[in-house]
Amino acid sequence: MKIALSLLLTAILTNNFILCKFLGICPFLGVSKKLNTAVGMSAAVIFVMVLATAVTYPINLLLRANNIEYLQTIVFILVIAALVQLVEIVLKKYMVSLYNALGIYLPLITTNCAVLGVVLLNIDNGYNFWQSIVYSLGGGIGFMVAMVMFAGVRERLEGCDIPKALQGLPITLVAASLVSMSFLGFAGLVDNMFA
Amino acid sequence: MKKFNLKDILIPTVSLFLICAVATALLGMTNSVTEGKIKEVAAASAAEARLRVCENAEKFEEKTDKNGNVYFTAKDKNGETVGYAVTTDDKSYGGKIEVMTGFSADGKITGVEILTIDDTPGLGMNAKKDSFRNEYLGKTGALTVSKSASADNEIQALTGATITSNAVTRCVNKATEIYKNATGGENNG
Amino acid sequence: MAEKKSIGKEFTKGLIAENPVFRLVLGTCPTLAVSTSVSSAIGMGVAATAVLLCSNIVISALRKIIPQKVRIPAYIVIIASFVTIIQLLVKAFVPALDSALGVYLPLIVVNCIILGRAEAFASKNAVLASAVDGLGMGIGFTAALFLMSTVREILGSGTFLSGIKDLLAVFSGDIQFNGFTIPFLNENPLTVFVLAPGGFFVFGIMIALSNKLAERKGKPKAELNGCASCPMASSCALIADGKNCEEADAK
Repeated sequence: MKIALSLLLTAILTNNFILCKFLGICPFLGVSKKLNTAVGMSAAVIFVMVLATAVTYPINLLLRANNIEYLQTIVFILVIAALVQLVEIVLKKYMVSLYNALGIYLPLITTNCAVLGVVLLNIDNGYNFWQSIVYSLGGGIGFMVAMVMFAGVRERLEGCDIPKALQGLPITLVAASLVSMSFLGFAGLVDNMFA
Repeated sequence: MKKFNLKDILIPTVSLFLICAVATALLGMTNSVTEGKIKEVAAASAAEARLRVCENAEKFEEKTDKNGNVYFTAKDKNGETVGYAVTTDDKSYGGKIEVMTGFSADGKITGVEILTIDDTPGLGMNAKKDSFRNEYLGKTGALTVSKSASADNEIQALTGATITSNAVTRCVNKATEIYKNATGGENNG
Repeated sequence: MAEKKSIGKEFTKGLIAENPVFRLVLGTCPTLAVSTSVSSAIGMGVAATAVLLCSNIVISALRKIIPQKVRIPAYIVIIASFVTIIQLLVKAFVPALDSALGVYLPLIVVNCIILGRAEAFASKNAVLASAVDGLGMGIGFTAALFLMSTVREILGSGTFLSGIKDLLAVFSGDIQFNGFTIPFLNENPLTVFVLAPGGFFVFGIMIALSNKLAERKGKPKAELNGCASCPMASSCALIADGKNCEEADAK
């Protein structure tokens, strides 16, 4: 339990996927303009991250047993792509309300580096099945926290008088820099809580 | 209703399958070429690290203690044991950290090498610097990390990277345990 | 002879006018993540360029064979294969680069520059043009990484090209040159520049500068407008509302 909680908090706060590991920057900059799209996108990411981890973990065991771990990247990206399509079809057919909320974001997630990233990091860090699931969940929630916070920051930016040269993308990145700096404050938190 | 057209399904499936087959064959070929080389490189870098942590060592013998921990005894050119090298790992800020610790025959730490680390550049990554690793030299027993190393068994933490400093120290302490068990066992037997 | 001229153009457009990082705002994740040191930035740039060149050539060569319906999965397979080949080669011959890039090396697969060029260029153009386009875009990516990492490494670590020895070891093990140390900054580095906030900040300033230059030449600003700047967007949208399949059925 302690390990699970520490993993979860690490992934959400200290090692936030977007703000510390730079995974999933495109949606972070692209889809964070409005709060509700930010939430929808993040929910889809959490869903796919956990599902992808659950599916790729046994596949990796299979690859390892056959000594063909070098096929990891190619197999995982295909599995994730197929999974996203499958989830989309299933949701469309059986859970229409959920599909309406998440559906449009799903195809964009195939090439989201946070999803492939979390799967590869779980293996690199040698987590077992449940640890992997918890870490992915944490990574997804961390993604959501960063997206939602940043959407708030951007809404405030709208009404500001920004120097001409910085208008648009540059000021967004500078704002991201400040949000990321605030997350540095969490650095010692988890270690001290569970030490 | 849409009419079911076999050709529409078959052609994409077959061509995708062919692409996958060719890709996998290519990867298999690359792997067969590089596999040996990758192992060689890993073995060479481990051997190099062992030489760095144990001075005066000529060759190493791999051993396993009763708990299943692997360690190396360092022998000089006359075949005398001059030290030990132990690799341990722990969890650090960015993930797994692997540290190799060298001990002299009388149990003093003769070297600390960071083998794997994935921490923040500029903070945790400073653990690789000599100034930090040299703090461990000559120490014995269980070590602790503090902001200002005053006592003998204290290691001064890296600025802004207490977590990494702790992780390295935990690795070194684990290595000390393995070393103690190993040498204790040898003396008894 | 008209073709020759345009091939030169395909090459140079990736460097400045359509620089993938500063103008098209693609591949931001690796740009931010590995630009903490110039050596790893160069390594990443070269690795991504190699993948981009190879995948562009193969995808262009197969563009008439790959069925429209499965082209995205087919591109992904081709790109992933080249990434894995590069990954294995790096592990075998430049192990230092493998540990420096870590998870970002396999993540070249999802670098949108590569899939983007496959979809936007290689699938529509001849092999030679695609190769040149890939090379130009790759070099543009490398140059952008080089610029970013130069600023970040000098300010943040007080060094320049530190660790380059391990990269050059591929060519010769005797090279002793291992970068420069910058006086004063080396003893008092502005560490925040190699940390995550510094990455965002330097990138923001770079984009502002490139916007300024573009403005002077009467070109539009670099914008990341939702998914509009992503070359995957059109195909994404097609998949999203199922038009892709309907279109194919209509034929």
